[in-house]
Amino acid sequence: MSPFDEYLHAVIMRAHLEARDDGSPTVEVAHLLLAVATEPEPSVHSVLSAAGLDRDGVRAALEREFEHSLNVVGVSAAGHDLPRPSRLPTKPALGTSAKLALERGFGAVSRKKDLRPAHVLLGILSAQAGTVPRALALAGVDQEDLAARTRLALTDDND
Amino acid sequence: MSDAEVPVPTDPADALAAVAALRRLADRLEDAAVEQAMRAGWGWPRVAEALGVTRQAVYKKHAQRLIAAGVKLRRREG
Repeated sequence: MSPFDEYLHAVIMRAHLEARDDGSPTVEVAHLLLAVATEPEPSVHSVLSAAGLDRDGVRAALEREFEHSLNVVGVSAAGHDLPRPSRLPTKPALGTSAKLALERGFGAVSRKKDLRPAHVLLGILSAQAGTVPRALALAGVDQEDLAARTRLALTDDND
Repeated sequence: MSDAEVPVPTDPADALAAVAALRRLADRLEDAAVEQAMRAGWGWPRVAEALGVTRQAVYKKHAQRLIAAGVKLRRREG
C-alpha cells in the first residue's frame, strides 16, 4: 500500500469507530472529520490545529451544531434520560455524505498517485451544506479559509 | 418565547439542519427505547405495533445489535 492508501485506510477505520460510538448505522462526513482530526498526520494536523480544531475541538463543534439545529425547532438534545443503547456489532457502511467527501477529495487530482492525506481533509471541507459547514461556522472557523490553507499545504508538499 | 410556541425556522438551511438533527435524535431514541423494551421482556410484535412498523422492520433494524449486546429476546409475544 502507498502511504496515502495507508492513511486513507486508517482514517476510514477510525471513522467506523466514531460512527459506532455515535450509534450511527452509517459513516457520515462528521465521522470522517473526527477521524482526520485524530489520525496523527502532520500535514493535516498543522492545518486543523491552526484553526483550533483538535479532536476535542471538532467533537465540541459537532455537538454544538446538533444541539443548535434541534433548538431551531424548540427541541433539546437532552430531552430524554433513557440508558445509552448498545452499539452495533458490525462495521457501519459508508454513508452518502462521507462518500461525497471522499469523491471530492479524490477529484482534486488527475492522477491517483498524486493523492496526499490532506486531500481527504480538502474533500471534507468541500461540503456546501450539512453538519460540517454548520459546525465550523458555529465554532467561528472560516471554512473557505481553512480549505485554502489545506490547498496551500498540498502545494508546499509537492515542491 | 412561551412554552406553547414552537419556533419557526426562517432560514432554509436551519430548517433542513433541524430535519437532519431530529432524524438523528429519533434514531438514537429508537435504539434506546427498543432496547429498554426488549430488556423489560417485550416481544417484537408489541414493539413493532408501538412503533407503527412491521415486525420484520423492527427485527431487521435492531435484532443484530441486541443479540450482540446479550439482551434476552422473546420469541413469542409478550
